[in-house]
Amino acid sequence: VLSKLIAPARRLALVGLAKNTGKTETLASILRELAEQDRCVGVTSIGRDGEEHDVIDARIDKPRIVLQTGSLVASTGALMRTSGVAYERLAQTGVRTPLGEVVIARLGEQGAIEVAGPSAAEDVREVSEAMLGYGAEKVLIDGAIDRRAASSPAVADGLVMATGAILSENIEEVVAVTRDAVELVRLPKAGNEVSEDERVALPRQIVLNGEPAEIAALLREHPRASTFLVEGALGERFLEGLLAARPQRAGRELRIVVGDPTKVFLRHRGPNWYRRQGLEIEVLSTIDLKAITVNPVAPQSHRFDSKRLRELIEATIADVPVLDVLDPSYHAAPEP
Amino acid sequence: MGRAGSGREIDLERVKPYADHLGDGIVQFSFTLPVPYGLAARKAAQELAKKLGFEHPEVVHYQRLTDGYTYFVMFGECTQTVDYASLSNEGFDIEYMSEDEIEVFASERIGRPIVIVGAATGTDTHSVGIDAMLNLKGFHGHHGLEGYRAFETHNLGSQVPNSVLVSKAIDLNADAILVSQTVTQQNLHINNLTELVEIVEAEGRRRQLILTCGGARVSNELAKELGYDAGFSKGTYPHHVASFIVRELAARAAAA
Repeated sequence: VLSKLIAPARRLALVGLAKNTGKTETLASILRELAEQDRCVGVTSIGRDGEEHDVIDARIDKPRIVLQTGSLVASTGALMRTSGVAYERLAQTGVRTPLGEVVIARLGEQGAIEVAGPSAAEDVREVSEAMLGYGAEKVLIDGAIDRRAASSPAVADGLVMATGAILSENIEEVVAVTRDAVELVRLPKAGNEVSEDERVALPRQIVLNGEPAEIAALLREHPRASTFLVEGALGERFLEGLLAARPQRAGRELRIVVGDPTKVFLRHRGPNWYRRQGLEIEVLSTIDLKAITVNPVAPQSHRFDSKRLRELIEATIADVPVLDVLDPSYHAAPEP
Repeated sequence: MGRAGSGREIDLERVKPYADHLGDGIVQFSFTLPVPYGLAARKAAQELAKKLGFEHPEVVHYQRLTDGYTYFVMFGECTQTVDYASLSNEGFDIEYMSEDEIEVFASERIGRPIVIVGAATGTDTHSVGIDAMLNLKGFHGHHGLEGYRAFETHNLGSQVPNSVLVSKAIDLNADAILVSQTVTQQNLHINNLTELVEIVEAEGRRRQLILTCGGARVSNELAKELGYDAGFSKGTYPHHVASFIVRELAARAAAA
């Protein structure tokens, strides 16, 4: 099912909203489906994947990542060696990680591998391109914890998002956090209809570190501006500063344009909340969300009914398939 | 091939434990079994050691711990070897230097002040870790990076928002960011550490900045998961952090 949904994406990112949202199970499921179709895949990981135990909570066993003969993988030399699986080293990448230098390898036999590729988005992009060059038909980029940088359209062409019970003991809260995350990922593309004197590029310092008074002064300096361009990261601190200063503009709507959704950092309120306050956040490049997978189990804690969780998410979030790869329904589902 | 103190050659591709003479493979280990002290207990310990793969296991000491529990100290010959030679070439080993060596290395290989910005981020009020690494006073008689000629340090203190830390680091044209965080199992701390990396990415500075994090539960495995270049845990002294930073900077300069 998933392999059909992600078919058009050459570089697919998997991002979890937290640890233990089932991201690696989703990866394993995609790998099984692609193996059945005899597809040559490349796998890289932002963090570390296929390890036996969770790095933060050792009581949690993790799924292994089984790759087929001929698969490509980006991992450190030391982890490749300890996997005990036959492989050919194709390239030293020069990318250093705390676990060693990343190499690109081709498996000589089927086996379980610990994957630890580059962490920096630019390096992920380069390693993915290299694996496509070595013959991978699709590169899967597994995320780490809640990190989103590798889902940037500069790195990946598609995204599968993993969510789950770990986010809250309250199922409504899990749905709400997932909804906010999806709104963020699907921020609308900015139009070009704004004239030069109405758009203002903001200095980095004021966006990252501006005091409310500086932000208010900025609005006064540009009374006609309706659109602000942010080149780097946009966070809540700046948005709150704008909201506080807005009454002096008689509540006129403002538009903030950022590069892509991975540059927006919202912890407390989703983009729709800001839209209702008259602050529209838009992006220059969008992310193509292919599917949402759910893990109804929070390890060492609680669990929800898989069907109920999926139905609640589907009722709240439009136009994206919601799947539980470990639920019997996954294999029974009609082909999309 | 390496060379032991005695002058004997050591095969670094097949390294074995050492006790009396090189290559004897002798390991001393200890465990407790929930069985009463006696000859049957002694025999059980020997059998277990055999099952663990040790040859010629010997019980060199055993004693009653409490009713029904016996503690053993064992010797046994390990038959396995490890390939140290290729592991040490995989690039995760940090060769630590002394303060003097760091100063010489930095002046020869970097040749300018290395700018370091550090903070305890987010809601973390504990600045003890970052102070120990950065401040002149340091700890345990090892002074912090502030005392090195090689470094220009900026300690922003505790409860620093990630965006402010990144903004300062960019303004100061920093080479490295040091973050201290009391990592617990609560996601809040973990997510705060990842947010810093993501903001650096969003600012397009990830390749220019060395990111290191430290805390009681921070390992290199966790650092990899979080997206940092190195993680420092208990037992870290300022010269360990300094060694990593100067070597990493030199490696990046060489690759550029």
